Amino acid sequence: MTTAEFGAHNWGMVVDVDKCIGCNACVIACQAENNIPINTQDRVERARTISWIRVERYWEGDFPDAKARFIPIMCQHCENAPCEPVCPVYATYHNAEGLNVQVYNRCVGTRYCANGCPYIVRFFNYWEPVWPESLRNHLNPDVTIRSRGIMEKCSFCVQRIRRTSRTARSEGREIADGEAQTACSSACPTSALNFGNFNDPNSKVSKMKEDKRHYTLLDQFGTDPNVIYLAKIDADKKVGAGEHASHG
Amino acid sequence: MKLNRREFLALTGKTAAGAVIFAACGLPERELIVQSPVDLPEDLVRGEDTWYATSMGDFSNGDGVLIRVVQGRAKRIQGNPDHPITLGKSTARYDAALQILYHPDRIESPQIRYSKSGNLASASWDAAEERFEQALANADGGLTVVTNPIRGSLGLVASKFAAQFNGKHMAFDPVEQGVHHGAVKSVLGHDQLPTYDIGHAHTVLSFGADWLGTWGAPTGFGVKYGEFREQEHRGYFIHAEPRMSLTAAAADLWLAPVPGSEGYLALGIASEIIDEGLASPQNVAAFEAAIPGGLSGISLDDVSARTGVDVDRIKKAAHHFAEATPSVAFGGGSAGAHTNGSFNLGAIYALNILVGAVDTKGGIVSNPGSALDELPASATGASFAAWEEELAQWRAGNVETVIIRGADLVHGMPNSVAVQEALEQVPNVIVFGAIHDDTMDYADLVLPEETFLESWGTEIPEPGPGYQVVGTQQPVVGPTVSYDESGLISDARGFGDVLLAMSDGSYGRNMEGVVRSALSDLHSTGRGSVSASSAALFSNGALQRGGWWDTKESGESTIGRVAASAKSAQYSATDSLGEGSDFHLIPFHSNSLYDGRLASTPWAQQTPDPISSASWSTWAEINSEQADGLGIREGDVLLIRSTSGEIEALAYPHPGVRPGVIGIPIGQGHLNGGRYAEDRGSNVLSILVDEKDSETGALAWAATQVRVQRMGRRVKVPKFEGNVEARPIEPGVPVLVVGIGESAEHAQEENHHEYQKQFIGKDKEAEAHD
Amino acid sequence: MQQRRELDQVYTNRKLLNGQLDTPKWWAPTVTILGIGVVIGLFVIATMINKGLGVTGLGRPVYWGLFITTFVFWVGISHAGIMISAILRLTQAEWRRPVTRAAELLTVFSLLTALVFPLIHAGRPWRIAYWILPYDVARGIYPNIRSPLIMDPVAISTYLTGSTLFLYVALLPDLGNLRDRTTGWKNAMYTVLALGWRGNPRQWKMQTVGGILLSALMLPIFVSVHSIVSWDFAVASAVEGWHSTIFAPYFVIGAVHSGVSAVVTMMALMRWLWGWDDFIRPEHFDALARLLIVVATGWLGFTFLELIFALYGQDAPEIALREMQILTWPWNMLFIIFLLTGYLIPVPMWLFKRVRTNIALMFWTSILVNIGMWLERFLIIVPGLARRTPFVYTWEAYRPSAVEWTILIWSFAWVTLLMLLFSRFFPLVPLFEQKESQVFTDDVMIGRAKVPAIVREAE
Ligand SMILES: Nc1nc2c(c(=O)[nH]1)N[C@H]1C(S)=C(S)[C@@H](COP(=O)(O)OP(=O)(O)OC[C@H]3O[C@@H](n4cnc5c(=O)[nH]c(N)nc54)[C@H](O)[C@@H]3O)O[C@H]1N2
Ligand code: SF4
Ligand code: SF4
Ligand code: SF4
Ligand code: SF4
Repeated sequence: MTTAEFGAHNWGMVVDVDKCIGCNACVIACQAENNIPINTQDRVERARTISWIRVERYWEGDFPDAKARFIPIMCQHCENAPCEPVCPVYATYHNAEGLNVQVYNRCVGTRYCANGCPYIVRFFNYWEPVWPESLRNHLNPDVTIRSRGIMEKCSFCVQRIRRTSRTARSEGREIADGEAQTACSSACPTSALNFGNFNDPNSKVSKMKEDKRHYTLLDQFGTDPNVIYLAKIDADKKVGAGEHASHG
Repeated sequence: MKLNRREFLALTGKTAAGAVIFAACGLPERELIVQSPVDLPEDLVRGEDTWYATSMGDFSNGDGVLIRVVQGRAKRIQGNPDHPITLGKSTARYDAALQILYHPDRIESPQIRYSKSGNLASASWDAAEERFEQALANADGGLTVVTNPIRGSLGLVASKFAAQFNGKHMAFDPVEQGVHHGAVKSVLGHDQLPTYDIGHAHTVLSFGADWLGTWGAPTGFGVKYGEFREQEHRGYFIHAEPRMSLTAAAADLWLAPVPGSEGYLALGIASEIIDEGLASPQNVAAFEAAIPGGLSGISLDDVSARTGVDVDRIKKAAHHFAEATPSVAFGGGSAGAHTNGSFNLGAIYALNILVGAVDTKGGIVSNPGSALDELPASATGASFAAWEEELAQWRAGNVETVIIRGADLVHGMPNSVAVQEALEQVPNVIVFGAIHDDTMDYADLVLPEETFLESWGTEIPEPGPGYQVVGTQQPVVGPTVSYDESGLISDARGFGDVLLAMSDGSYGRNMEGVVRSALSDLHSTGRGSVSASSAALFSNGALQRGGWWDTKESGESTIGRVAASAKSAQYSATDSLGEGSDFHLIPFHSNSLYDGRLASTPWAQQTPDPISSASWSTWAEINSEQADGLGIREGDVLLIRSTSGEIEALAYPHPGVRPGVIGIPIGQGHLNGGRYAEDRGSNVLSILVDEKDSETGALAWAATQVRVQRMGRRVKVPKFEGNVEARPIEPGVPVLVVGIGESAEHAQEENHHEYQKQFIGKDKEAEAHD
Repeated sequence: MQQRRELDQVYTNRKLLNGQLDTPKWWAPTVTILGIGVVIGLFVIATMINKGLGVTGLGRPVYWGLFITTFVFWVGISHAGIMISAILRLTQAEWRRPVTRAAELLTVFSLLTALVFPLIHAGRPWRIAYWILPYDVARGIYPNIRSPLIMDPVAISTYLTGSTLFLYVALLPDLGNLRDRTTGWKNAMYTVLALGWRGNPRQWKMQTVGGILLSALMLPIFVSVHSIVSWDFAVASAVEGWHSTIFAPYFVIGAVHSGVSAVVTMMALMRWLWGWDDFIRPEHFDALARLLIVVATGWLGFTFLELIFALYGQDAPEIALREMQILTWPWNMLFIIFLLTGYLIPVPMWLFKRVRTNIALMFWTSILVNIGMWLERFLIIVPGLARRTPFVYTWEAYRPSAVEWTILIWSFAWVTLLMLLFSRFFPLVPLFEQKESQVFTDDVMIGRAKVPAIVREAE
């Protein structure tokens, strides 16, 4: 039994890859929500960009049968996270709600956790983040600006979860299904990204993850992610023996 | 007990909410703030965020959005869950608009050029207004107001203002959609662009239009696409475009026709449907009646030869389209941007007649006219032919004053029309804008303009949702004081407000007034999503909600005929261009910069392009096998020449382009535009040739042929993907692909077997890809 | 068959104390130049800490590069000390005597240098001590002892403490000697440092027993230090080429290979620079080279074992990594240089006694080994990170920046400077060991040749 299953909430994401169109709305929403530094051209060229969620595009086949397939990848919030045990200072740990949490204040910047993460979703601040003064007006006051020398990564928009739970608590009620949304899931036009509580068997995400298309990325590492993917459908793919093709 | 103002307003707010009836889905309680902190500083509660509903003015089709405001600063732009188009969702372009609001290079104050050869100098608004008045004083009959295609109140004000001085209001859109408007008008009889019931269609067949990325109402289309995929019978999507856009990438079947042959492709699909008896006789008759000359002389082999799409694919598309109904066909973008554009789009829209998809569930949905007669519900750029005429007038000195906003003519027009020279002949060029653009280099008066986050307006989205919508736009932040508190970041004013101040006042004194009076007119219709006992409460309700809509008011189609224009496309010549290989140029809207209007923002610059993952630059997409043949590698600097000029771009070969086609994103190559845009990349619009659609005179922006040559330099493409071509390292990793009805587990098992089987031969295969 | 001069004690004392009592002419200029180099290096390090790690060539996903490579390299070098002093002492290898001190010194100085690297490699070095010390008893947030990055400092500091003690205990008799030959402030310094050494039998006995006990204590540390360093990599299950169960012995034996080679380099230098031909003799090189042949061959076995595991397991990502490491430019070039310098050139040469006793050849081959061993670490650490992962958006190469190269060079200058400074004040060859060996040495007549032999008192 995982830690998160004991709590009231086990936050998680279900990504329907079949719906992802690669539009990057999630990427820029995350940038804006989480005060991610500007990925300048130099940072792009030197592979130092910070993008808590990225949309990868894979090629299959060649012209005219070429296919481009997109997949959004953010921190998988592994229940058994390889990034956690290697951190010397407990700057990254698992909380009781299924989140892999990054404590910026503790992080000393060894980058060990980044080597440990098979999904390569951890980002190091090689430089102090800077914005022209006027652009600082749009920074989100709910989210810390990470100084240089430390790691950062997708937080499942913990500030939004906290705001929502605070509101619910002050109103003396439970958080409704779908009430807590991350910046990326609320931006995604096709609803490829779905955020919710896996501990509630009736939540949208709990139902979605029962889909027979569900899989987790790199399951050979046994990381037990809280991000579940639903496989891309190729309508023209021939389905082999043991599985009969049907509509649906 | 004495109430303070804040408590009082909270109470009236509640009463207002009580009086307002909201239809449809649940109202997010967060947006219950009637009005922005501009007027209610008491709303500033430390640490509390407030969400205001508004519309995105010049961006993205007037999308309805919510703005998160904390302490008087705008923090996020998200879709408005209530708005019929956006339904709470976003595009990669939304948040970037915040960076225009807070741009470090925003124009601070009005600027005046005292002589044509002089420099712009900062001036007060008083001086600017004086200069403006002078320009108007002798402009009677010689005034042109140039804007981007604007609808709603601002469109109304601009037109009335031009009319007051017996001038014209002309809209400019560098990537013209006029052909599209013309085609839906002639085939379906629509005055507004129609929408498509993608969410209920079983087959979607689209041509040329990047509707999931940049074309039409991408946010709304994206939502519908999600529904389309979620149906019990997962929809089948066919897309025809010579270069793989993100829309083409989402398709189940991608057809890559020869540019300009899209009309023939549509007719080929139609002939297969008819030959196979897949359509009802009435529909066939109606279809043939709509096609000038019918389908005579159309054979599949001929179509295949013209379009370069093999017969099997055409047949497959035809069968899906006719058999898995409801289905819908539409097109636009590069498919219409040819000398035969009207024919192409006409033939495409006519396909709907063949399968009975007009005004049906899962088909084409017509949009009703404007809810208020006065408010324009449709807008399109004036045709290129009209622009050539207009520029001739400017050049001849017949136009005294030109007022420009939202349209960067110098960046947006091809070199061949030499708009700079025309501007130099206009005595008074007045340009509005938030950040210095290339047209302002020719302005006599530059006026700092408020962004949509600071100004009032109404927005009628086009294409609409299939019923009447009037979105509201309100200031959500006040003027922003600069960090050192030395002054405002920008002493900007609204375009509408300035025009109204200069006007005779007969159509309003300021934009807020215009908007409130429009809302009051809406109130008196007694229909729609907001009903309240008084106009004031109605107005509050609409502002709270982000607009007003009436789901009952829909439009209707009248089937007409495809324009009898040329059927074959003409391309520009390349004989005179010296060395290099010939390519067909397909410019495309950047997913983040759009046509360049967001190029000034770092967020739009840094967003990876969906296909190439490139950013901060201008790249050129060519077919990877062809590139191998030509010895072109990624990052090679290419010189791209047309008869209209030349630009440089970085080669990005990939398998998703038709050989012979070169795709280049629009949006870079600004001389100005602030620190993030200046002198970055190149402007593909500048090398377009002046071919026009034979029917509408619209710029045939996909009809340019170019000659491409390697410059001999090679640089790293600033892109997010790593330094190998992105191919899965083994099947199913990380993108697992299943067939219909197949489980992930089964697919994984199969992949594993396939993988094991091939193991020994794997290295060779991997080498071939690297 | 070795022959040597008979050395009297006066000659031994004078010759071996020449570093302290009459400093060679080259000493001052060399130290000055090195000192300038070290100051420049420190300035570069300070700049890097001030500006941020952006000045390195690191990116994503190559988060570790030259610094960690060099860290492992110096920890590897440090294994010379224990190998030579403790193990050879316990196995009573007599030829070790003249080189023990230099080897121990190398251990201490290379460890001090190695420790700098993880520190400056961190994003916020100034925070490390603050978090890593278990300061937070009140809130119960101790450092994470599961992390090899916590075990590393524990192991290394234990090793450093042990080595320093070891060095000091062995230095005591010589300090006494120096105290008796100096005046003024030097005398005062040696007096304090000598801890009242008089050379009486009780002191000698304690010194000897202490040395043996420390040797025995150091044995487990010998195994642990590089094993733990290897776990820095071995526990990262996600990194192909890192998560290997054989890393601990592989790293330890590699460390011995590079450490002992470094001792050979140093011996040659000591012989040349201080003219200690009578003390550091070809037979010492011969013995070390024989040891190295065995160690290097064992180490090469592990190297190939790694490749065999990949092939045998048919593990695609692992094979892809090896493919890149061995076949793809520029890694293949590095790999070939690594094999040539780490094994293929030196070891076959050492098979010949003429090479083993040729000081110049031994000097250059030992340097080759350490070039190879540095590359070995680089080839383990960097390709593992730069490889083509399942997520190709993160597939990126790494090119170290000038700052990183400068700091790498700085570390060599720094270690050399420390050694030279030490040599100014303390003998690099332990006088008492040297003399003890002379006492134990006798000449046995074999035919007409006088052959040295070791005699021992019966226990
Ligand atoms: N760094 C630092 N932190 C401190 C202290 C310190 O000295 N230094 N002092 C501490 C002490 S002693 C205190 S008392 C706290 C104070 O901490 P807070 O209670 O947070 O006090 P203020 O910062 O004054 O914020 C009060 C907020 O209420 C808003 N407000 C004003 N009038 C009204 C009203 O009529 N209705 C409502 N709803 N809101 C209103 C204001 O705009 C403001 O946003 O801070 C504590 N924290
Ligand atoms: S995805 Fe990576 S960073 Fe996130 S919890 Fe898993 S191992 Fe850690
Ligand atoms: S970079 Fe920070 S979070 Fe990661 S292991 Fe090091 S200290 Fe921990
Ligand atoms: S959940 Fe939040 S932090 Fe994570 S990727 Fe999405 S937007 Fe970014
Ligand atoms: S927003 Fe949604 S559809 Fe767009 S790239 Fe992200 S996950 Fe895919």
